[in-house]
Amino acid sequence: MLSGGMISPQPGAGPVSPAIAISVDALSARYGVNTVLDNVSLEIARGSSFALLGPNGAGKTTLLNILSTLRKPDGGSARVAGADVVRQQGEARRSLGVVFQDSSLDDRLTAWENLEFHGLVYGMPSRQRKERSAAVLALVELEDWRDEIVRSFSGGMRRRLEIARALLHEPKILFLDEPTAGLDAQTRVRIWRYLDELRRDRDLTVLTTTHYIEEVEGADTICIIDHGKIIAQGSPEALKTQHGHRWLHVIPRDAAALSAIAARRPDAQPLGAHGLALPADDGAEVDAFLAAFRDQLTEVQFQDPTLESVFLSLTGRQLRDRADDTHNAEKAAGRRGGRR
Amino acid sequence: MRRVRNRWMQPAINLAIVVALLTALSYLPPDTSLADRQKTGVLKLCVPPSYPPLVTGDPNEPGFDIELAAKVAADLGLRLSVNTLSSIGKDFNPRNWALTRAQCDIIAGGVADTVQTRSFLQTIPTPIETGWVGVGKSPELPEAGATVAVLAGSSGLDRLQVSGWLRRNGWRTMPARSALQFTGVLDSGAASFGVTERSGLAALVLPAGVEVFALPAAEFPQYRMAFGLWKGDQTLKRAVEAAIGKLERSGELARLADRYGTKGYQRFSQELVP
Amino acid sequence: MNRTMMALRGLYGVWLREITRATRDRAQLIGGISRPLIWLLILGVGLNPYFRGEVYGEVRFVIPFTYLQFLFPAVIVLNIMYTSIQFAVSVIWDREFGFLREVLVSPMPRWLILFGKVLGGATVATLHGALVLILARFADVTLSLEQVALALALMFTLAFGLTSFGVILAARVRSFEGFGVFSNTVILPLYFTSSSIFPLDPALTRAQQAVTYPEWLVFLVQINPITYAVDALRGVLINFNQFTPGWGIGIIVAMAVGFFLIAIIDFARQ
Repeated sequence: MLSGGMISPQPGAGPVSPAIAISVDALSARYGVNTVLDNVSLEIARGSSFALLGPNGAGKTTLLNILSTLRKPDGGSARVAGADVVRQQGEARRSLGVVFQDSSLDDRLTAWENLEFHGLVYGMPSRQRKERSAAVLALVELEDWRDEIVRSFSGGMRRRLEIARALLHEPKILFLDEPTAGLDAQTRVRIWRYLDELRRDRDLTVLTTTHYIEEVEGADTICIIDHGKIIAQGSPEALKTQHGHRWLHVIPRDAAALSAIAARRPDAQPLGAHGLALPADDGAEVDAFLAAFRDQLTEVQFQDPTLESVFLSLTGRQLRDRADDTHNAEKAAGRRGGRR
Repeated sequence: MRRVRNRWMQPAINLAIVVALLTALSYLPPDTSLADRQKTGVLKLCVPPSYPPLVTGDPNEPGFDIELAAKVAADLGLRLSVNTLSSIGKDFNPRNWALTRAQCDIIAGGVADTVQTRSFLQTIPTPIETGWVGVGKSPELPEAGATVAVLAGSSGLDRLQVSGWLRRNGWRTMPARSALQFTGVLDSGAASFGVTERSGLAALVLPAGVEVFALPAAEFPQYRMAFGLWKGDQTLKRAVEAAIGKLERSGELARLADRYGTKGYQRFSQELVP
Repeated sequence: MNRTMMALRGLYGVWLREITRATRDRAQLIGGISRPLIWLLILGVGLNPYFRGEVYGEVRFVIPFTYLQFLFPAVIVLNIMYTSIQFAVSVIWDREFGFLREVLVSPMPRWLILFGKVLGGATVATLHGALVLILARFADVTLSLEQVALALALMFTLAFGLTSFGVILAARVRSFEGFGVFSNTVILPLYFTSSSIFPLDPALTRAQQAVTYPEWLVFLVQINPITYAVDALRGVLINFNQFTPGWGIGIIVAMAVGFFLIAIIDFARQ
């Protein structure tokens, strides 16, 4: 099951620096013949915010499942808070708080009962349970809803309650799988503000997986993953400087102009139905282009390097698949409406 | 939106409602047997012509079962109609007595509270006891090869038990066709020993020197005599049971049993020596 | 010590959740009431005239009890069977709606999670079985405290085994849709072939030799473990056994242990 020589003979006493919250070494995972994780290695510093960015199916959730001990790796090893995820499951689980992509609340229980259940399952004594439950409910501003059945909660409220629950037992590490999918911008901002405070105050390590660029702008480190491989890693600024491009977005006047530009600039990529995006890192080249086509354009816009463009240039694909998102939202809604 | 302050409040209310509902329903009458008797005003009791001391045939002292049934009927506000049927006890198989639901509400006068009886009737035991007993001139069991007379009654005791016991001890069984024959062979010495039902003793005129002994208790348990009611007549059975319970609490039942119970049983004192 | 306390808290938490969920499921409670009413009040009373005596010595149904008394313990088993096996729905629900992952990432060992769940399901099923006991008066079954305690212990063990069986079913059933039909096709045949509504061995008493069942039916009844569960409960409640009394208790305990072990293996695989 385990391969690679990085496992120390004595579990738990391995050479893991206390400054490292999560270390992943040559991890691989397969579903049948498909390789979902291919020799992935990474380290996450304590107290940092680490984002795994990648399209659906890139292997993010598999990695998270391995780290949260739900799935065994097919090769390599991983440690969370110093505990091996295969051989020290109990300790690994105790130091983890996990917020899953789909709701894992019991929607027949009240908010308070969900928290109480979590506290009991994590073995917390009664007083601590009550204090912590009240504290985390206050944190996500759901005190007024503590005795309501979760079924009546909106998507945002559920998400907040799940985050509160994941923090109840004071984990050292928090996993957020697509944490704010389907949330409105206001809630998203608020949740991130909570988490940043916790990182600062309690040295909480936050590992996020997402395919929303907006979610990770504030992360310390971004790790771009695609087809089960890490293709880039670094701070948002570093990634932008390294891989980002300045783009020129233009909308040609008519189809003839469009084909003319496409003929002149084979590196242009289509943008929407009528537009084109051209690499614009070279100022002189841009000036020359604009001088030549100025009369045939209805709209011209410069785009500074974004993580989206970083992703685009690294994978040659758009990060977000809109159709896929709609599908997920419908699925989530269907589930919520479902009765047992 | 549902607010749940105390999670046990609603379930406790629900459970209370359910328990109350089921308890109330458990008081529904499961049949019409009592209602039908009350409509006609008559309680029909079937007895054999004679089965002392339960049924004597003497109008002044008609027998324990008849007096008890009369008291029960009075308690239920019904008139007791005693149906004396000579077919009862004439045959081993009660089917041949041809007792039907139309003739009898209660069958008495020699019904023992045994599993066999309960296969056909439901029983309400009375304080009178029965069981197999031994009759003979000596309290010692005879040697193997001896002849043992058996007079089986009709109260529903297990005959196989007796024949098995006799076979195991190597005795020859001589079934007696009547009480007269039974006492006759005991007197003449044709049988060295006899086995019969305790409740039937009162009807026997035992020859001089012949005494009654208990058989080994482990093999021959004693049974209560009983009123037999038809299966499925639950409401009537409950009413009769309640009435007997009342008589028991008032002490009337004990007085009645004393009055009849001593007859025929005073000789029953000593256990057989194996 | 501390670890034991933590494990016990976790066990209590999982159990408490099952109980809480059950109290919010009114449909289940209504089923728990309607079944005994249908089987005892309606079927029992409706068929009563066919099982009562008309002529002394001539009864088709030769057991030393009334039909209602005979039926009573079987209805308790029926109620337990329904509630226990329907418990599979709760397991499927957890799995399909993601709640399962919340417990799987917790420090509780999996077998303990399953144990808590099955205990919870068995508690609810035992309660549903106990509802039938309220109708004892109706069926003319007189109960002593000792009998009730012994019956409850047997009922709980049976419920534990059947709830584990529900978990095993749940691991093999992918959707809710078919489960209702599926559970009925499992429960009712088991119930009908458990000698619940007719006595199995007509040769028990000589008088009933007139009534014989074909061998295949007797065979079905004899291989059905529920037969022995019903028999054990009859032994306790109305003091009537069709089989060696020890068998029933043995089979109930064997089901509880065996099904739970299989359920653990199934659950660990998820």
